[in-house]
Amino acid sequence: MNYFISENIFAYNSGTEHAQARRVRLLSRSTATDAVYVTRNYNRFLARDRKTVGLKSAQVLNMYDYFQGTTSVPRVEQKLRLLKQIPLAAYKIAGHGPNYSTLEENGLTLARIDVMPGTVGLIGSITYQDRFGNLTARENFDWRGFKSSVDYFHPDGQLARTMYLNLAGRPVLEMVCMNRGGQVAPTMWQLLGDHGHHYRFSTEDELFTFFLDELVKQDPQARLFSERRSLDAAVGAAAAAQKWAIFHDAHEVAGQLLAAYRPVLVEHPEQFTGVLVSTKAQQAALNQQFPRVRTAVVPDTVIFPDEATPPVARVPHWLVMVGRLAPEKGPDAALRIFTRVLAAVPDATLELRGYPISANYLNQLKTQAEHLGLAEAVTFSPYVTGPELAQSYRQAQVLIAPSQHEGFGIQLVEALSAGTPVIADDVDFGPREIVVPGVNGDLVQPGDESAAAAKVIKLLTDARLWHALHQGALDAAKQYFAAPVARQWQAFLAGPAGHSTH
Amino acid sequence: MNFFINETMHAQKSGIEHAELKRFKLFNEHGADCRIVIRNWDPELHENTRQAGIPDAQLISMFDYFQHAEQVKDRRITLADLDFGVANTTVKHEPGKNRVLVTAGGQLVARVNFWPDAQRVHSTELFDAFGNLYLVEQYDSRGFVSLQQWYTPDNQIGMETWLTPAGQPVLESYNRDDRQGKRQQAGWRLTERDGQVFQFATIEALTQHFLDDLNLDFWDLKRPNVFVLDRSHLVEWGITRLKRPAYTVLYLHNAHTANAQEPDDPLLNNNYEFALSDVDAFDAVVSATRKQAEAVAQRFHPRAAHFAIAVGVVPDQLLAAPRVTVARRQFGKIVAFARIAWEKHLDDLVRAVAIVHREIPQVTLDLYGYADPSDDYKARLQVEQVIQAEHLEKVVTLKGYTQDIDQIENSAMMFGVTSRMEGFNLAVMEAIAHGLIAFTYDVNYGPNEIVESGVNGQVVPYGDYRAMAEAMLKVLRDPALAQWYSAGAYESARRYSSAAVWAQWQALLADAQANWPAKLVAARFCKPEEG
Repeated sequence: MNYFISENIFAYNSGTEHAQARRVRLLSRSTATDAVYVTRNYNRFLARDRKTVGLKSAQVLNMYDYFQGTTSVPRVEQKLRLLKQIPLAAYKIAGHGPNYSTLEENGLTLARIDVMPGTVGLIGSITYQDRFGNLTARENFDWRGFKSSVDYFHPDGQLARTMYLNLAGRPVLEMVCMNRGGQVAPTMWQLLGDHGHHYRFSTEDELFTFFLDELVKQDPQARLFSERRSLDAAVGAAAAAQKWAIFHDAHEVAGQLLAAYRPVLVEHPEQFTGVLVSTKAQQAALNQQFPRVRTAVVPDTVIFPDEATPPVARVPHWLVMVGRLAPEKGPDAALRIFTRVLAAVPDATLELRGYPISANYLNQLKTQAEHLGLAEAVTFSPYVTGPELAQSYRQAQVLIAPSQHEGFGIQLVEALSAGTPVIADDVDFGPREIVVPGVNGDLVQPGDESAAAAKVIKLLTDARLWHALHQGALDAAKQYFAAPVARQWQAFLAGPAGHSTH
Repeated sequence: MNFFINETMHAQKSGIEHAELKRFKLFNEHGADCRIVIRNWDPELHENTRQAGIPDAQLISMFDYFQHAEQVKDRRITLADLDFGVANTTVKHEPGKNRVLVTAGGQLVARVNFWPDAQRVHSTELFDAFGNLYLVEQYDSRGFVSLQQWYTPDNQIGMETWLTPAGQPVLESYNRDDRQGKRQQAGWRLTERDGQVFQFATIEALTQHFLDDLNLDFWDLKRPNVFVLDRSHLVEWGITRLKRPAYTVLYLHNAHTANAQEPDDPLLNNNYEFALSDVDAFDAVVSATRKQAEAVAQRFHPRAAHFAIAVGVVPDQLLAAPRVTVARRQFGKIVAFARIAWEKHLDDLVRAVAIVHREIPQVTLDLYGYADPSDDYKARLQVEQVIQAEHLEKVVTLKGYTQDIDQIENSAMMFGVTSRMEGFNLAVMEAIAHGLIAFTYDVNYGPNEIVESGVNGQVVPYGDYRAMAEAMLKVLRDPALAQWYSAGAYESARRYSSAAVWAQWQALLADAQANWPAKLVAARFCKPEEG
């Protein structure tokens, strides 16, 4: 089994989660290998969120679900008013709109019942209070309709403890919050062996390592792939025959090694079989800087051509930038580039598609757009996946990518597969591997906004050029199709991974 | 079902527990099923109830009930059975403290406290890897974790959780601050057997729910559940507010007024004030004596039925035992069985004996009972001061507590009561059953009914120890009178025979039965014609 290990699948995922999910889909499709998306964090919405990245239940394995024995529970739409635990002869459920109700006795509120987000009347959580109105306990329900955990609170309202339950409602794992360096924070995780042993841990990562060891015990040939630098320590401590760290981003910026990469590259390279990158350029850089670290190149993402959505009409002079709205992705630069474009192409429009890192940062960008006089021409579009995202790519004429660094750049490949030429900053490491100037788009010196604007204007105004690059994009995308990518992965698994005896 | 409701059942019992146990035996002897119902959590409960002759099958403690732990096979849990979830632990014994310290890598993992046998685990104090005491687990004497006390970062108990013997949390209470910042038990959360979750503001409300559960579990259209409330403060709120009909009984184990001698004292006994002020919320009120029953009826005019039912039962075996004539008893030996406490006023008994001693030097007094530690053993000091003042060191002896009643009472001659107040006084009942000549102040309630002047001894005016001395002297001077009273004592004990007391209970149960059809009709469990 190949375990691709991440923190979570979120409601809004970054390219890392999307790339990981696609890889798992790719490898678990093929008969030769099997792959699972492993997550550490407790997430009672996982059964919902995995669908946004196209994963089936059997393709995802969460640590908490594993210990709770709830990995393959089908969803039941549990209406809060039909919840058997609420004694309706004793208490009244008083509705307060679509989001919550209260449990009342003789006119006094006993508890608040929150509706499962995004549903109509399904149970989400029940928050209990004492006779003074103090918070006491909260029962959390899983998306699949069962009670999954109970939070208890200290008298001052801080979280005191979470008990994770099995399907029978029995606590199987507890997390305790007490004094830790002057703060009330988790100090203990304990597995409560039903008939077996108890196991105690001081951090969630210690528990995670124990969990990974359990997986390896069941399959000694299992390979572990750490997809997140925050997990390298936990994965590194596990006892598996093979452990690989997959890099999704540049490990250095302006010649400075990023701290998150130190454990694998500097401190404990011996814990890992090697490092996987998606570009030869990054591999070359690593080989030069860290000769002790073994490296291999495998594709970071994959396009499933059979999942292509019907074409939509291009909107003339429509630009798009796709990705998290975060400073390193350069949305501020995109706005400035677009200002120049708009001066030459007055009916041009720009869509910024993605979730902002904060409401504050989004406001900052909107204010910037206003100051630049772009308010009418710029659209901030929410994070979407699947066909909706495909439509964003397909209706645009150009994708701009002014990132400060990229390990690969999943949005570049997705744009190409939609036939949309790309104008990207030539940063380490992905863009120059994906974008071939004059064939499927163009590259500019990092930060050269005027050059980027000029190339965009040319593309928008030169129909022949656009059609050539459009065709080039479609052709270039083929190398990321499922079949060739699967072949490369299988070659890797049979080669460097298969023969390693680390 | 007949339920007798109490707080707990300690190894050292007061009169109320003794009375309840005698009733329990009486009901069992007459084939009337009954349960001792205990309200408080007590990890030693089953040790004590088994010792007291209550089988687990006839015991329902509220916590056991919610913890599914009414009948549990005993397990012997020792240190070796504990699992702290930590590898390579070291154990250090602390013999003086009857506990061990468990450490791992020099860090304290747990303190383990033992029951007095130094083997079975009583409780564990558990520490996280950052040195915080986060949890104390209390074991039931039957060998399972019954109560978890979860600690706050500032080392107080933040909440308590009660578990099933299998380890499932079912009942929780939360310690929280009120608006004045006072930390208190501020809420309860119960998960019932069927998974329903209930919340309660107070333990009173939880108790009410428990009584409703019992009433439902033992529901029988043919006969009502009878709830006898032996300590009214425990469930007086819930018992009068049951969801379904039942037959509820307020049992007065003590005088109903603050001043027992004044049945019309405006101040009621604090313990009964709330229940008596709402007495018609009960079906019946029971006094231990006719005298009190009449006083209660006169004062409260309750619609509730009122009964006099003795709290003591003289076993048939004792009634049939060979009688000991006065001639074979130690002449002048007076005994008293009572706690040496303010309300027992035993210094007055010593004063009476002092007077008797001036004429009859053979007189002696043995006091059997614990000394009440209140006010630095003030009651005992007062007794000792009279002994000293009257130079009775060779005459009066403080014997301490004993269970060897038969041997002592079969050889003594007289029994004295000089109490300030009484609810019944089982001791004087046992004394006459052993043929002791009884002397008592005219004290409410019990002694002045158990002792009958001219029959088994003498009732003298309340507080008049001189009159008591005179009554004793009269008997000591006249061997024929003494033998007459002793025989009368044996005979008068028949009023408290099993059959006699059971007949009193039968009257109550008959009243319960007579009212049952109407209650069922009123609550729409039956149609009028069926009732």
